[in-house]
Amino acid sequence: MRCAWLGCLVWGSLLIAGGPQSAINVNTRYTVESVELSGAEESRISAGLRREMARLRGEKLNPSLLEDLARRIRRELQVRAVTHLVLRGDTPEHVKVVFEVKGRPRSYEISVPTFLYHAKQGWSAAVEGTIQVSEHRLTAGVVSDGDALAERYAGVNARYENRRLGGSERVGLRLLAESYHQQWNRATRLAAPEAIEYTSPIYRVRQNIEPTITIALGGPFMLSVGAGFQRMEPDYPAGPGTESANALSAALRVHKRIETSGAGRHDLNGGYGLRAATRVLDSDYVYNRHHMEMRYVYENGRHAVVEHAMAGAIGGRAPLFERFVLGTSSTLRGWNKFDLDPLGGDRMVHNTVEYRYRMLQAFYDTGAVWSQGQPAVARHAVGVGLRQNNFSLAVAFPLRDSRVEPVFILGMNY
Amino acid sequence: MTRRRWLLAAAVIPVSKVFSAASLSAYWDGDNIHVAAPHLHFLTGRPLERLKNGLSAMFLSQLTLSTDAHLTVFRRVPERFVLSYDLWEEKFSVTRLRGNPRSVSHLSSEAAEAWCLRSMVMSAAGLDPSRQFWLRLELRATDPREEAAVLGEPGINITRLIEVFSRRPRSAQPHWTLEAGPLRLADIRKSTARGDQSG
Repeated sequence: MRCAWLGCLVWGSLLIAGGPQSAINVNTRYTVESVELSGAEESRISAGLRREMARLRGEKLNPSLLEDLARRIRRELQVRAVTHLVLRGDTPEHVKVVFEVKGRPRSYEISVPTFLYHAKQGWSAAVEGTIQVSEHRLTAGVVSDGDALAERYAGVNARYENRRLGGSERVGLRLLAESYHQQWNRATRLAAPEAIEYTSPIYRVRQNIEPTITIALGGPFMLSVGAGFQRMEPDYPAGPGTESANALSAALRVHKRIETSGAGRHDLNGGYGLRAATRVLDSDYVYNRHHMEMRYVYENGRHAVVEHAMAGAIGGRAPLFERFVLGTSSTLRGWNKFDLDPLGGDRMVHNTVEYRYRMLQAFYDTGAVWSQGQPAVARHAVGVGLRQNNFSLAVAFPLRDSRVEPVFILGMNY
Repeated sequence: MTRRRWLLAAAVIPVSKVFSAASLSAYWDGDNIHVAAPHLHFLTGRPLERLKNGLSAMFLSQLTLSTDAHLTVFRRVPERFVLSYDLWEEKFSVTRLRGNPRSVSHLSSEAAEAWCLRSMVMSAAGLDPSRQFWLRLELRATDPREEAAVLGEPGINITRLIEVFSRRPRSAQPHWTLEAGPLRLADIRKSTARGDQSG
């Protein structure tokens, strides 16, 4: 507990030190006349990003949107910096926007995509290094994650990505390889032998190879199709031999951002994913896993409201890593996932409503995770915290009849 | 005059020359201490370039009062201002962020600078009118893009972080420090300006 308080203090001071950069700019009353990219050919950025740049034309100037676009151009081009200028337009009350690309494309990058402390589940972290040559990106990383699944997985991963397969901007390829060692909570170890008829036994090593093709369907829609070849080594020498869970996968995603004429901004992200493991792929497990989610964010000035709903169902016998878990750093915050269901469930619904004012946030989570044939029990949690960019510090309270026990969560990208 | 005093004088003259170029003055309205620095022009260089490019620029300021020649802090007031430049009207707009945000627009650069300084007000409560005190005004421009480059959607970008720290960002960012003192409230009383903070 002392560590948690110390962490809160350090993190809180970091958050406050960052401070928000307000987008108070008198030029927001002017209309964007044109948008240009300087220092790089427009063809080097994706069609989707070019469309978003074009959409600025005819709209009122929105500095936060320009900063967001500059960040995304920089990430796509892998250059040192992308700045933006606003110049007086050719017609009165109009302005021109120029994105300036600075520096040559960087061929390597090191990042920390996950860094998280959960008072009940401990630390999770990942570090990645990426090398880019032309359209080819090769990323290697190390990870130890005790948050997302019923297992804690630690190990290495590597992926190859080509966002313009065959020169087409609409088609991309990703090849992912992972090798993880597992650690299991005591409650999961005790419960697993009793559940062998509807899930896998616990395993000590899990390896995965997953090729995926992504296709931009036009408009806000993106389709991914692929396959996953998971191989699990049993935890006990006397257990079953190496097992496999080989599945076909498909996912449809939609992303829509709407800027209103006022200060409001709507952002909608949604998707449906299906994984179907079949004997055709020589899988020991046969199942289908459906998962859908919708995240809507409305921002107006310093206020923001986030609504995030998701649901999932599994038919058949799926291994432990496929089962749904709630009580993580982003779902039913404050609850211990091993108290809810140490093996995860094959049915799940969850909803989060979050209100943010500047860096302050308050949230309400509700959801249920259960297995077929069992009753679904809805749980609720509330919490408050601080959020700045990707960093967040929250104290969450699971709503129980018996007692109030705060749980601290801090980190980024959750 | 001893050799030590000559050396001391040689060291002090350039410093005092810097401060005399933009001196800090203060007055007391009976409740609050106000500051003025008519020769301080901070809308120059990179911040001005950023403003003329249609972007906003943020300035952080800190007014510190000490009763022992800047050794310890008696009172400190931080302040934040966001400025922007109207590309068509060629006038500046300022918003003070601390407390109840206030904005003014259609200002010249000198008027915008003066408005920021007028907004830096410190309560004189608890300070004996006959007691000596010293004032220090610190002002610096911030670069919000550095933060955005390090913290992106994929998490912390270590490569970018190394680049930022390998430069000299703080010294490269424009900053100004002005000092005044020793002063006494009894000496800087200005009865006509009581409570005036308007722009």
